[in-house]
Amino acid sequence: MEDYHKPDQQTLQALRNIANRLRVNSIKATTAAGSGHPTSCCSVAEIMSVLFFNTMKYRPEDPRNINSDRFVLSKGHAAPVLYAVWAETGYLKESELINLRKVDSILEGHPVPKQQFVDVATGSLGQGLGAACGMAYTGKYFDKASYNVYCLLGDGEMSEGSVWEAMSFASHYKLDNLVAILDINRLGQSDPAPLQHHVEKYQKRCEAFGWNAVIVDGHSVEELIKALSQARHQPTAIIAKTIKGKGIPAAEDKMGWHGKPLPKDMAESVMKDIQARITNNTKRLYPATPIEDAQPVSLRNVSMPSAPSYKLGEKIATRKAYGMALAKLGRYNEHVVGLDGDTKNSTFSELFKNEHPERYVECYIAEQNMVSIAVGCAARDRNVVFASTFATFFTRAYDQVRMAAISDSNINLCGSHCGVSIGEDGPSQMGLEDIAMFRAIPTATIFYPSDGVSTEKAVELAANTKGVCFIRTSRPENTVLYNSNEEFHVGQAKVVYKTSDDHVTVIGAGVTLHEALAAAEILKKERINIRVIDPFTIKPLDSKSIVEHAKATRGRIIIVEDHYYEGGLGEAVCSAVVNETGFNVHRMAVAHVPRSGKPTELLKIFGIDRDAIAQAVRKMLSSSTNAK
Amino acid sequence: MNVTVSFLGEDGPSLMSLEDMAMFRAIPTATIFYPSDGVSIEKAVELAASTKGVCYIRTSRPENSVIYSSNEDFHVGQAKVVYQSTEDKVTVVGAGITLHEAMAAADMLKKERIFIRVIDPFTIKPLDSKTIIENARQTRGRILTVEDHYYEGGLGEAVCSAVVNEQGFTLQRLAVAHVPRSGKPNELLKIYGIDREAICQAVRKMLSGSANAK
Repeated sequence: MEDYHKPDQQTLQALRNIANRLRVNSIKATTAAGSGHPTSCCSVAEIMSVLFFNTMKYRPEDPRNINSDRFVLSKGHAAPVLYAVWAETGYLKESELINLRKVDSILEGHPVPKQQFVDVATGSLGQGLGAACGMAYTGKYFDKASYNVYCLLGDGEMSEGSVWEAMSFASHYKLDNLVAILDINRLGQSDPAPLQHHVEKYQKRCEAFGWNAVIVDGHSVEELIKALSQARHQPTAIIAKTIKGKGIPAAEDKMGWHGKPLPKDMAESVMKDIQARITNNTKRLYPATPIEDAQPVSLRNVSMPSAPSYKLGEKIATRKAYGMALAKLGRYNEHVVGLDGDTKNSTFSELFKNEHPERYVECYIAEQNMVSIAVGCAARDRNVVFASTFATFFTRAYDQVRMAAISDSNINLCGSHCGVSIGEDGPSQMGLEDIAMFRAIPTATIFYPSDGVSTEKAVELAANTKGVCFIRTSRPENTVLYNSNEEFHVGQAKVVYKTSDDHVTVIGAGVTLHEALAAAEILKKERINIRVIDPFTIKPLDSKSIVEHAKATRGRIIIVEDHYYEGGLGEAVCSAVVNETGFNVHRMAVAHVPRSGKPTELLKIFGIDRDAIAQAVRKMLSSSTNAK
Repeated sequence: MNVTVSFLGEDGPSLMSLEDMAMFRAIPTATIFYPSDGVSIEKAVELAASTKGVCYIRTSRPENSVIYSSNEDFHVGQAKVVYQSTEDKVTVVGAGITLHEAMAAADMLKKERIFIRVIDPFTIKPLDSKTIIENARQTRGRILTVEDHYYEGGLGEAVCSAVVNEQGFTLQRLAVAHVPRSGKPNELLKIYGIDREAICQAVRKMLSGSANAK
């Protein structure tokens, strides 16, 4: 970092003026909107002014410039002050600010990426720092560029564990290009934050987590400038002691004002007073231009160099096929990045790590942070990111996944060890609700490949599919079903077993697809024919195919899944066929919390094995005959 | 406590819970209460306190009118019919804000001499499939579900699974189709097609579809 040169008085006054203008605009916008968080904006006015007009090097006219410093507003409810500062740069029209929260304005209640100056949506607290860590890691280790990353947090959100997961990550990876500014304004939403104004306690905690921590008066532009220009060899926390509602006398440091816009006449008189403090300063401040040393990256057409090399009938677990596929994809695509949460020898992401150690990021047992790191690494389209752990452990990062969708992020997540078929480890390790979870994510694509070939195809497709992609893999080994030249598409099911006279359509995936195939063999001997379908993607589901084949089997469908009943494959099929006439749908799934046991024993106990499928087919046919 | 599209809509999607029913439905020991007025909320709290397993109560912020009298009995897995006549053509299942929108739609449609039956499921899990099917049979198998939640895994899919094998049923589902944005609550209900007008329109469409089918 450069040596600290104390700025001249004119510059300092110009920064103070900007801070006060930010206050005025935050108050004006929230009062016009009738909602919003003016007091949360007022505590960070000087911080925002200094960051955007003194510290950060960026191109205001090109907010997504790859060389610019990045800024994440983790305390997303201070959105009005973010919008106000971008109006100060001239990027936004000042007149647009009073359209805050209106249904036809891009200035939504919390930052969203339709705003070019926002990389990750915030508003759900505690997630900004993790994303900032992902961006900083990318800057330092992948891009090897000079840009820095700044993240502004509130003190209320520092109770979120995810913040401390990010703090650990940052110091472990020596992210000296990362600065967190902590707005310690003492007050949360309904109560003071636990450490109130004890900034020395924050400092001890940050230092204990390996950060360099500096305490400043958050309303002194001088102190902020000095702290932000210090040389850094580790991530830095600027612990800014501030007053919530600073500039609004009736609200300063008082409970009861969180999320409350000022009533109109109060707003007018407060703004008048703040305006009076803005001096006639003619010095215009411009952000410094960034150092241009980040390489352009194109993520188009990330493809496998060759077809899968599995042979029909070969045995491989889809979790292992995932690891092999990721390593292969990384071989010819230098922007593929792999993350894992200390399960890499179970998810097989270690195969990627072994081949491309410089592109692998160990996130340790901190899945919430891992998803945020993934989002950060994928921001500004710098990387194609794959993050893996056991399917069920993504449940603890559901909010991060939800926010990734709102952030329009293109992360790819792989969840292994799905279902009861993992066996002896028991229910705490089994993914039985993950399909439900990801189906309810609007931008999600869910791949559930059933063999080595289709797993490799799923990885390739995921890398090229926008939105959040989820690949569900299994622990047990299964036979390769597809030729290596089989084509796969999102939303395209495959028929893996048929005759010209099938009686029932059976849909399975992963382990249960193989059980269905075994059931087909069993039933063949009884001269009962079933058609077996592999949906390949659960979302989007190939309803057209399913309905066509069901019609060919007199409307009889059985769905069997290694997942709970609710929200999974069975319900997805139900929704697709509910209005078809003459259909008979039977769903087989796991009915209650399972237990430890051998995989085959559990499949049997929970009624989703080949015998259960065969029995369900027989029953369906006999009741059809009875119906006749 | 949670918020949906209809809550302080201006806060935007980061604060809206649109996937929580899907999340809790996939919890094996869960009971999901979705009370639609002050009386049923109080009953839900009392029931939750004495119901084993994980209980989830989904509440809304906007003020809504009280529907039930204070001596109304509530049970887990027991739906209530809140609007009916002898000439009902479609059964509409709503909850929370959409139950109130459905009742408003019922008033609007009445003027066109179209009568709908409105059901409050009270608990989404377990769902009172029996009541829903019985009432739907009386409305020629026509069901419309409307929820302030995404399509996947919520009330609509729960009803789907319950009625998929009923013959002669037609099920339409209204829900939030993609990540929403900031706006006034009533604007958002309109944009995402789950307000009283959307319900009326879906009912009219369902009936004209039936008429055409004949």
